[in-house]
Amino acid sequence: MDQLDNDKKELVERFMYIAGEGEKVAIEYLNLCDWDVEASIDYFYDTPVLVDDALLEELYNRYKDPNIDMISVDGITLLCNDLEVDPQDIIMLVISWHMNASTMCEYSKMEFLQGLQELSVDTVEKFRDKISYIRSELNDENKFHDIYNFAFSWAKEKGQKSMALNTAIGMWRLLFAEKKCHLLDHWCQFLQTRHNKAISRDTWSQLLEFFNKVDTGLENYDAEGAWPYLIDEFVEYLNENGINHSKMVAH
Amino acid sequence: MSNQKKRNFQIEAFKHRVVVDPKYAEKTWSILEHAIHEIYNHNASGLSFEELYRNAYNMVLHKFGEKLYSGLVATMTAHLKEISKSIEAAQGDLFLEELNRKWNDHNKALQMIRDILMYMDRTYIPNTHKTPVHELGLNLWRDNVIHSSKIQSRLLSMLLELVHRERTGEVIDRGLMRNIIKMLMDLGSSVYQEDFEKPFLEVSAEFYMGESQKFIECCDCGDYLKKADLRLNEEIERVTHYLDVKSEVKITNVVEKEMIANHMMRLVHMENSGLVNMLLDDKYEDLGRMYNLFRRVPNGLSTIRDVMTSHLREIGKQLVTDAEKLRDPVEFVQRLLDEKDKYDSIISQAFSNDKTFQNALNSSFEYFINLNNRSPEFISLYVDDKLRKGLKGVSEEDVEIILDKVMMLFRYLQEKDVFEKYYKQHLAKRLLSGKTVSDDAERSLIVKLKTECGYQFTSKLEGMFTDMKTSQDTMQGFYASHPELTDGPTLVVQVLTTGSWPTQPSITCNLPAEMSALCEKFRSYYLGTHTGRRLSWQTNMGTADIKATFGKGQKHELNVSTYQMCVLMLFNNADRLSYKEVEQATGIPASDLKRCLQSMACVKGKNVLRKEPMSKDIGEDDAFFVNDKFTSKFYKVKIGTVVAQKESEPEKQETRQRVEEDRKPQIEAAIVRIMKSRRVLDHNNIIAEVTKQLQSRFLANPTEIKKRIESLIERDFLERDNNDRKLYRYLA
Repeated sequence: MDQLDNDKKELVERFMYIAGEGEKVAIEYLNLCDWDVEASIDYFYDTPVLVDDALLEELYNRYKDPNIDMISVDGITLLCNDLEVDPQDIIMLVISWHMNASTMCEYSKMEFLQGLQELSVDTVEKFRDKISYIRSELNDENKFHDIYNFAFSWAKEKGQKSMALNTAIGMWRLLFAEKKCHLLDHWCQFLQTRHNKAISRDTWSQLLEFFNKVDTGLENYDAEGAWPYLIDEFVEYLNENGINHSKMVAH
Repeated sequence: MSNQKKRNFQIEAFKHRVVVDPKYAEKTWSILEHAIHEIYNHNASGLSFEELYRNAYNMVLHKFGEKLYSGLVATMTAHLKEISKSIEAAQGDLFLEELNRKWNDHNKALQMIRDILMYMDRTYIPNTHKTPVHELGLNLWRDNVIHSSKIQSRLLSMLLELVHRERTGEVIDRGLMRNIIKMLMDLGSSVYQEDFEKPFLEVSAEFYMGESQKFIECCDCGDYLKKADLRLNEEIERVTHYLDVKSEVKITNVVEKEMIANHMMRLVHMENSGLVNMLLDDKYEDLGRMYNLFRRVPNGLSTIRDVMTSHLREIGKQLVTDAEKLRDPVEFVQRLLDEKDKYDSIISQAFSNDKTFQNALNSSFEYFINLNNRSPEFISLYVDDKLRKGLKGVSEEDVEIILDKVMMLFRYLQEKDVFEKYYKQHLAKRLLSGKTVSDDAERSLIVKLKTECGYQFTSKLEGMFTDMKTSQDTMQGFYASHPELTDGPTLVVQVLTTGSWPTQPSITCNLPAEMSALCEKFRSYYLGTHTGRRLSWQTNMGTADIKATFGKGQKHELNVSTYQMCVLMLFNNADRLSYKEVEQATGIPASDLKRCLQSMACVKGKNVLRKEPMSKDIGEDDAFFVNDKFTSKFYKVKIGTVVAQKESEPEKQETRQRVEEDRKPQIEAAIVRIMKSRRVLDHNNIIAEVTKQLQSRFLANPTEIKKRIESLIERDFLERDNNDRKLYRYLA
């Protein structure tokens, strides 16, 4: 893409965004249609990208655990290598979301196949190509909401109802890393000093709402609103420590 | 023959030829005029009614009504002017008498004149819409006499003067007043009002303003109210004697406003004699007077009520927060009851059982009783005291009265579940130690609680009574089937159903051999007849009576707790025992053992044991001996008692914690009930509904409710709505 001039780069990005495809695919289609974005998109949608089942099966076998019929930690590590991403990268969460994986660090055959179908990739190259698109999905508010809530079931211990505090804090830091969330650090500190217990699903999902809806100054925090008790305690904690006062003064 | 002229017959109307001589009218009129004069001069006796009537009749008939009427007006007016002058001439007090006399005369005259002129009254006057004779007479009197410049103001000032004199204590001629006032009333309500009533009310207002000012400076509240009452009654009496009845409400309004309304706050808050002092000193008469006077003015009663309420709340608050008074729970509750009795009396004797006052009393009590969170415990202790000894020898009716009063206090409690917990504990102790004065009284109270709170509140309590009864039967059966045991120690077992009795951790200790054998026999007997049950001995709750012989041969019967018995029996086989030995042999937990040993070695009069060293505390290395020198005045000595007492701090915390724990499932049950029927409900409404449902037992904390909701979400009973996070949905 670096060889292209700026106009063309822009077109490629547009195509990627609309079609949900990787860079290579974008350039391919644009070339075919003389760099007319509209036409290339129409053409793209007219010719459905089919995945080759055989190729998929091959891919699965590459990562599958030798002893059981599923992909375990080693397979995933290999996958990350192939994709040239860090296993700790948040993109693994998004990929797992596409697969609707039930838990971290393992994929069932079903999950793997269905996930890749959804992403329309059947080779490592195609997969790698799509990485930037997949990463960009985190910026979509609706998708982020889904991914965030999915993360709870995915990251917690299998068979447990709630998520261990450390896991939760790790996940939050990961998820909110790009989002510039002022209160996140305070939230984590608050939990470690005051709460020290597992996080319930309700608290998890309501936290996103809280961060989205309530200003950093907490001016529009409604004590009568049905926020989970833990969040009420958090607000009290903030008030006690005078954390949001600076914003209040500016008001 | 010549032409005959035809003559037209002209038929003319038949003319009644009456000779109407204008002079005739003149003549007739002068007869009548003369008659009027004579009437006014008190010479009416010489007149012929019939003749005069006929004359008037004729005048009207012959269309001289106008003349007659205007003549009447003129003549009467002239006479009235004369009369007016003579009244004016009257001096001083005679003025009113003269006026009165002349008024009477005028009325008599008017009557006669009216009779004479009745035909005119009935025919000419209606046709011409003129004022009828009688009314005319009154109007002329009004215009020429009453409203004459020389009479009008003099009349008014005389009347007011007399009223004033009467108010200052003089006796006046009421009959005369009545007549004059009646005259004004007869002249028309506007005359009465303008010429008397209005000024009268104004002057009265000034008078009472001054009077009230004077009194309030020098009187205390009670005296002032007496005076106000007197004045009010005086005015009412005045009206009945010589004023228009419609004036009553107007004049009483004046008095009420000037004497009461304007000084209400000052009176109520008067130092040393105001409302609060009256309440404190039970001044029923003064209070009743205040009530009756204040109810007449706007906001009067609410003022009294508000002051009473804040006073009550104040003393109530002092009562429940005064550490001194809280030391003895029984006395504390008694004071509450006394206070309630006092105010009930006041309300019934002085405030005529006014419901709004009753409500204010109730809300005040409810307010301050709940300020102290130990109130439920203390009320239960009070009941315990009464049922244990206080009701001894009291008649059945009086017992009911006392229990009803307790119920009344109970109703004020917000935390009824705390009361329940304590009541259960105390009842258990009473039943197990056999210390209840009257079984009937106990049951009666349970019934009352059931009526108030429903079946669930009392079902466990009733279970406790059942257990006691069943145990009796069981013991009978036991001894009946083991006749060989009648010679040995007597065992009395109370079998308690776990759910009904307050939970206690069951710690067993090592019973002396004689007892443990007996207990085992009982256990096998019981389990023989009740398969599938488990028995565990509650050795921390039992008692024992043991006969002891001391060093100098003194014999006593000791009433002790089971633990104490275990310790004492050890000394049958040893003279000296160290603390450790006792601990090991009995297996009694350390803190209980220490208390037990203390009660037997360190308390004067109960020191059946001797301890070395003689310190008050029990040390690990202490040694114990039987106190051979033990003496007591009584043969039977009570050492161990399981009496209900005010809890220590840690115990109190524990109980409260248990109560809080018990509340959680109740809150959850309420939430589930509500959501099951409503299906979808928002946060604030759930909180409100749950609070309402539980309010008969305790005041639910919104934060706690929220936590329970979250717990229910966690367990998939409820979920949040996807779009509105404040909405909850019931998951079937």
